[in-house]
Amino acid sequence: MKSKPKVAFFDFACCEGCQLQVANMGELLLEVLEIVDIVEFREIMSEKWDGQFDIAFVEGSITDEHATERVKKIRERSKILVALGSCATIGGVNGMKNSFPLEEVRRYVYGEFHKFFPTVETKAVHQVVKVDYFIHGCPIYQPEFLTVLKCILQGIPYYVPEYPVCVECKLNENVCMYDRGLSCMGPVTKAGCNSWCINNGNICYGCRGLTVNPNTEGFKEVLRKHNIPEDFLIKKIEMYNKCKELDK
Amino acid sequence: MENVPFVLTKLPSKSIMFYCIFSHMKTEQYKIIEKYLIKEFVNRLFPISKVVAPVYKGFGNYVFEEIKSEENVTFKYIPTILPPKKYLLPKKETILEFKKNQELIIQPVVEYENLILFGVHTCDIAGFKCLNKVMSDTPKDVSFLLRKEHIVIIGIECNDYCDQYASCAFVGAHLPTTGYDLMFTELNDIFIVHVHSSKGTNIVEKTGLFKPATDAHIKELRELREKKAKIFYNEIPTERRYIPDLFDRSWNASVWKELEEKCLSCGNCTAVCPTCYCFDIAEEVDLTLKSGKRFRIWFSCQLDPFAKVAGGIDFRKERSARQRHRFYRKFRYHVDRFGMIFCTGCGRCSRTCMAGINLKEVLISLIKESEAKIWRKWL
Ligand code: SF4
Ligand code: SF4
Ligand code: SF4
Ligand code: SF4
Ligand code: SF4
Repeated sequence: MKSKPKVAFFDFACCEGCQLQVANMGELLLEVLEIVDIVEFREIMSEKWDGQFDIAFVEGSITDEHATERVKKIRERSKILVALGSCATIGGVNGMKNSFPLEEVRRYVYGEFHKFFPTVETKAVHQVVKVDYFIHGCPIYQPEFLTVLKCILQGIPYYVPEYPVCVECKLNENVCMYDRGLSCMGPVTKAGCNSWCINNGNICYGCRGLTVNPNTEGFKEVLRKHNIPEDFLIKKIEMYNKCKELDK
Repeated sequence: MENVPFVLTKLPSKSIMFYCIFSHMKTEQYKIIEKYLIKEFVNRLFPISKVVAPVYKGFGNYVFEEIKSEENVTFKYIPTILPPKKYLLPKKETILEFKKNQELIIQPVVEYENLILFGVHTCDIAGFKCLNKVMSDTPKDVSFLLRKEHIVIIGIECNDYCDQYASCAFVGAHLPTTGYDLMFTELNDIFIVHVHSSKGTNIVEKTGLFKPATDAHIKELRELREKKAKIFYNEIPTERRYIPDLFDRSWNASVWKELEEKCLSCGNCTAVCPTCYCFDIAEEVDLTLKSGKRFRIWFSCQLDPFAKVAGGIDFRKERSARQRHRFYRKFRYHVDRFGMIFCTGCGRCSRTCMAGINLKEVLISLIKESEAKIWRKWL
């Protein structure tokens, strides 16, 4: 029998919550292990692998020179590289660092020792190396992880939905957060999570990043109607999307 | 052909239409049920089949969902978040199963079950009629038609407007005409029930709670309909028969540009519309990578990828073009193709739109702009 594809997980600047989503899959993880061979995954095993990877999942954003070098090496060793979670796909919350001068950020975090900690502006993984598949979310949505994994193994692309979370939310027939008197980032956020948060009674934070072609001006108008200041939206967008500026 | 109330060709004037409906009231087609028995009626549906009814979800929202007890049903409600269309055209429907071991086995799938839809408003019944028209056209949609065969539709007539978003009287969907098995209308002390099919007769017999209607009841029903003719008014300041012309003049109307700025392309207005039927096809394999399913999933012309074709070209890129398409799809294209307006006036699209895009207001501004143009021509 053909040997199973070798899969590894790596983390950069992040909370490792997306890897945890994979580790926490329960029985499904056993089914996954039937079709792939996990050779490196710090969160669940101590073994390491020094050969080539068929699939490397990279979690976290790239925030210093050391990380830049490390991710480039991983890229060289991997046939397929997947950005896992919003820190990796869009820079995620780490991107907020880019709103401040780097010097200020270093001083704030490391105080008098700051000069021992060189830093660069936060980047999403694709802003440093080529990424073949994107799994958005903070954290990732397990079913989407499995869908992407199956696409990789079938050798077909995975298309991240190019429409907002509202589409999935409506199909799930949730009472809209705006009817509950709450604000929700659903109208401008990429779908693909099956409106996970709203299904569970929470608002959408916009963790998957802005949808393609969002109507932010129109959305500001909606928020204004609900007496929500414009500044609020900008902050919410910057919370996850700051690194997008580097794409231009 | 079904005798739909809003067929556009040679439409009779309103008063004649009311007269027609009244003159067809045959006492023997009607039953009555005491009001206090209505909950018991619902209880007696459970042994017959799965029952779906409107249920309150809080914050002024209702949904159609399966009920196991009459306690959950609401008899008075505004149109649900999604229309009961979801039972005729499921949101995600398996259409094919495949398996590959030595050879590839492909199996088409039709999903259907016996279902009683209780408490459907006349606007949503009009929605079923629209879908039925399209799905019965060649090539027939077998899945849809089979599902429809297995569904019993029990309607409840609205004696007053649900809310300010409705425009059901404009399209004549505020009155029961056809498309249901039983229709409940609330009178002073009783519900009068129009038995409209053998499926309906079957329910009446199996539940055993009905009495024959008398001429006095029919008289009361007539009076109610006369009262309704005063409560419901034509919500759009034109007549249905002028709608095709209005749209022929409105391709470049300024309102589409306004919608460009407002619309978020969230697709809510189409998801909730009882006459939308666009879908996407998706496939999912299981983790063995050897078997899987093909689905049909609701999709919408308001979404970015909808009109994208090979080469990345998008022939309806602007939001204004997509919104215009939605309105032409409701009020113009299907008039030529099916002789019907594909809006039931349920008001869902306006109710759900957080950008405040309101169907009635759009139609009114089209009328105003078009009138101004006509006057300019004359002067
Ligand atoms: S709750 Fe949020 S995601 Fe859902 S429809 Fe409302 S705005 Fe959209
Ligand atoms: S609903 Fe919003 S915050 Fe929640 S997972 Fe989806 S995109 Fe992220
Ligand atoms: S619901 Fe409103 S904002 Fe959303 S696509 Fe429809 S018209 Fe646009
Ligand atoms: S267009 Fe709007 S009012 Fe008309 S049927 Fe669709 S959702 Fe209802
Ligand atoms: S739109 Fe008309 S028929 Fe539909 S629920 Fe409202 S009042 Fe009833």
